Amino acid sequence: MSGFSFMAILAMGQAFPILVRGIDLSIGATVGLVGMVVFDLSLIFGMPGYGIIPLALVAGTLAGALNGVLIVYLRLQPFIATLATLAAFRGLTYTISGRQLVPGLSTTPIRDPWITGIETYFDVGGWLGLSRLVNMPWVPLSFFIMLAVFAVLQILLLATRFGRDTFATGGNHEAARLAGIQVKAVTIAAYAISGFCAAIAALIMVARFTTATEALGTGMELTAIAAAVIGGVSLAGGIGSMFGPALGAFLLGAILIGLTLQGVPQFVQQIITGLILLAAVGYDRLLLVRRQRRLAMAAAV
Amino acid sequence: MAAAAVSAALARHAAPNALSIAMAVIIVAITLLEPAFMSADNLVGIVRQVAIIGIMATCMTFVIMTGGIDLSVGPVLALAGLVSFYCLQADFPLVVVIAAGLSVGFIVGLMNGLTIAFLGLPPIIVTLAMLSIVRGTALIVGGPEQHLIRNEPAYSFIGTGNLLGLPFAVYIFAAIAVLMILVQRHTPLGLLVAAIGNNERAAWLSGHRVRLTKTAVYAISGTGAALAGIILSSQVHTALATYGPFGTELDVIAAVVLGGTSIMGGNGSVARTLLGVFFLGILNNGMNILNVPIDIQLIAKGAIIVVALAVAARRG
Amino acid sequence: MMATDAPLLRGVALSKTYGAFAALNDADFSVRAGEVRALIGSNGAGKSTLIKILTGAIAPTSGSVEIGGQPAPLGDPLGMIRRGVACIYQHSNLAPAMSVLDNIYLGRQPTRRFGFVDTRRQRKEATALLDRHGIAIDLDSPAGSLPTVKQKEVEILKALALDARLILMDEPTGWLASADVARLHDTIRALKSRGVGIVYISHVLDEIFAVCDTVTIMRDGKVVAESAVPDIDRARVVHLMVGEKLARDASDAALQKRHPRGTGEVRLSARALTKRGVFSDISFDLHAGEIFCLTGLIGAKRTELVRTVFGSDRFDSGSLEIDGKPTAPRSPVAGIGRGIGFVPEDRHHEGLMLDMTVTENLAMATLDRFRRGPVLDRGHMVRAGRRAIEELSVRPPDGNKVVRRLSGGNQQKVLVGKWLARRPRILILDEPTVGVDVGAKAEIYAILRRERELGAAILVVSSDLEEVMTVADRIGVMVSGRLVAVHDAGAVSMADIVHAMGGGTA
Repeated sequence: MSGFSFMAILAMGQAFPILVRGIDLSIGATVGLVGMVVFDLSLIFGMPGYGIIPLALVAGTLAGALNGVLIVYLRLQPFIATLATLAAFRGLTYTISGRQLVPGLSTTPIRDPWITGIETYFDVGGWLGLSRLVNMPWVPLSFFIMLAVFAVLQILLLATRFGRDTFATGGNHEAARLAGIQVKAVTIAAYAISGFCAAIAALIMVARFTTATEALGTGMELTAIAAAVIGGVSLAGGIGSMFGPALGAFLLGAILIGLTLQGVPQFVQQIITGLILLAAVGYDRLLLVRRQRRLAMAAAV
Repeated sequence: MAAAAVSAALARHAAPNALSIAMAVIIVAITLLEPAFMSADNLVGIVRQVAIIGIMATCMTFVIMTGGIDLSVGPVLALAGLVSFYCLQADFPLVVVIAAGLSVGFIVGLMNGLTIAFLGLPPIIVTLAMLSIVRGTALIVGGPEQHLIRNEPAYSFIGTGNLLGLPFAVYIFAAIAVLMILVQRHTPLGLLVAAIGNNERAAWLSGHRVRLTKTAVYAISGTGAALAGIILSSQVHTALATYGPFGTELDVIAAVVLGGTSIMGGNGSVARTLLGVFFLGILNNGMNILNVPIDIQLIAKGAIIVVALAVAARRG
Repeated sequence: MMATDAPLLRGVALSKTYGAFAALNDADFSVRAGEVRALIGSNGAGKSTLIKILTGAIAPTSGSVEIGGQPAPLGDPLGMIRRGVACIYQHSNLAPAMSVLDNIYLGRQPTRRFGFVDTRRQRKEATALLDRHGIAIDLDSPAGSLPTVKQKEVEILKALALDARLILMDEPTGWLASADVARLHDTIRALKSRGVGIVYISHVLDEIFAVCDTVTIMRDGKVVAESAVPDIDRARVVHLMVGEKLARDASDAALQKRHPRGTGEVRLSARALTKRGVFSDISFDLHAGEIFCLTGLIGAKRTELVRTVFGSDRFDSGSLEIDGKPTAPRSPVAGIGRGIGFVPEDRHHEGLMLDMTVTENLAMATLDRFRRGPVLDRGHMVRAGRRAIEELSVRPPDGNKVVRRLSGGNQQKVLVGKWLARRPRILILDEPTVGVDVGAKAEIYAILRRERELGAAILVVSSDLEEVMTVADRIGVMVSGRLVAVHDAGAVSMADIVHAMGGGTA
């Protein structure tokens, strides 16, 4: 359960670009970049954790917003724009890498209590008195962070004007524009949220490993997109909620953990991830076809 | 007003030739900083270096022209090398070895194409899933360890041999490039690929077998990646399941898109893809010669793609 | 409140050009408060362009718009909405997965603090709106799950909810049954009495005489006449819409020999064709050497019908015979194989490869002929293209020109030419002259007549009545998915056809 909180957060963030009919391939690189920012601030500059966390979140959000700006103002395809920033962010990670600037630090763990505190475990079962009945694992703080992100984003999406505007922009871009919705701002915000979530995920991972590497987060975009699509966020835009991606991430996680426990090798798991992804888009497509058929039926009445 | 006029003039005259102009500027700049760049050895070296990416890019151009994308080329490259390795071990004749390696890419491409064309699933996701599946398969087949290819002079000649003073791989690259340019310009398939990218529905309504054509372009892309894998394994005398790491497809797509092929499909040309390939090759080579660190190279690559495409978007 | 003299909205010298094509040319337009102004013209006359400028969807190339005496921003949808301009669009403009309630308030849901949507207020206002206008609709169902007629009502509600000072209605009755049309007209009268200005676009002249105060007539991107409705009659309106030349051509055409049933040989025969929920029980014969026009209002399902004949869509039941042999084309490939050519309505999305050359587009349906083994014989293709360009008089006569850069009329000639190259035995054309200038229209009609003389069976779908009266040998009228009448063109008046299109019996 603990290992997949960060993936759920990434998937929920990824849902926003997909909701506005885009995609964000750069989140893995953003995770790496933010992780390195945390590493530098903590070990090189000796900044306290309560200062690092907001800066890390700002860095991730800005990285995401940059994607949005490239897409909206330079009219680049989301796929291309985020592929380019994937390379650029990863390069930037190497540039600012404290491991290379100060080689001695590469084996020094991060000991800041604010950061490592994210990796605290709570005996929830013990508090609730349930552990006498069942054997409950301890729950990490990251799980509660994930719940908080879920709550905030779900409310944002379902109860606010911004949420409505997001659905409208993805569902029918031209109608949204003609209704006076600031589709450019909405699009940029969607990518900024994706970057923000990548920053949170980066904090959780740095806390777990007590360090950051240049390669942190590589390839995670695949799993996050898979989790979002499995969770019912439609690639056609305008359909989805936060519940699906979170569930999708845990489902994917549970399956993979299950397979590991069964002794299935890592390689096979990769194949299975791919097959699950194919099944998910296939199902998405099936729903679309069904919806259209139902419409034709409705018209017949 | 003046700014608008300048930008309009820029869009009209500079944008279509932006890549050629930028390439000329970069060549002059690098030569001034490091004259060794212009040496015959280095120039041949550049062609040799770009051969692998170049073959994949020329073969992926059709996919992108139809409005699709193929993210699965990296692991296909690895798997083709492994399959060739095992065929060599089994002492199959060279023709069979190469055919087996190529068929890996053909089959993966065919599966991509059939899923995309006949089930109507989005190419990004299908080939992303295939990336994962093929990588997993390569790891099962080859395991995490390196497989050395020794005492196979014929096979090694593909990647390391010389003919008339030029590496053999360069001839393969040239042959593929010429072949694909001819296919694009002088066969119905080439015209149909452009037509599908331009207006898929109109092509279908004109009585063309759009799905089969789309399937074929993915098969071509996969086969190209497999050929690149064979050349690579021959060049480094090794087959390894993790060759063509995540990011390989980025380089390939970047070359195609830099060449002016629209990611939305339609406009594009194999010849211009070659320009994109050489642009990136010269940039990489130049930055290496000038000892630019890897991180700056990555950032520069990202920035150049964004700038080039933003200029191209102005034209449209 | 009565109409006042100060204009509520005034557009001055509005022009919009796309490349060489002027969609709108120096048009002046004004609406007063409490006025219902009809805006009419043939397809491609510039009405939609004008509407798009007034909603801010596009910016004019030149000219200005004033609202309430103040200059309004151009190309800014939000600015226009804030100034009280609402629009009921011809095509659905809804976010399909969102609820009806959210669609009505798209982009302007009432909010409480921190941007939270005030759903209670939203629902209260919407319910009041439904009551006021006597519309019953489930506010919570996704807009995309509603039948088209209901979606149209959502569009109307969306405009009404704005409390707009000016409402633009682009063929609002296209999908509505006659009872719903009457209700919409009641709504319009109520809005008018509250001082709302209304622009009403419709092809149905009856509606214009029923509900409008004034009329602006457009042709070829220009405003050709303005008048109070009582001061003008039907014949004059039609005359102004189509112009002197075409009116003369039309009367010439009326004198021309009609060829109902052509050579008498039945080439295509449809019996009880039905596609559930779309059209039903359609039977007709198409003869060699005749032009059969299918006309009707938007939403009469003519396009859907001819698509199933061609094979790009499928029908559910009924039978189709070509040359006496039963057939059911299941794909364009099959349709083409049986000798059918199909010129679709939307040449940009379904017809042409806009970024490819004239020669390539002309060869698109006949690629097989230029195949030499695996190789494409470009020389042969260019020669064939050159011949076609000459025959069709495509301007400029340059095969290397990219089709996007041609005018609408020349684009359409290329599209028609692509199919003529196959010498189809059955040629289907869906709205062959939409967005085409008058000159090119006449040329396309000449091409159709020539093909008819050569023995082709031609099926034309058209909403343009002048066109129908000009080229048809026989006329079929469709209403809501049924073929309600078939007439010989020489024996029927335009008034009869209009009457039949509105659902009456001729």
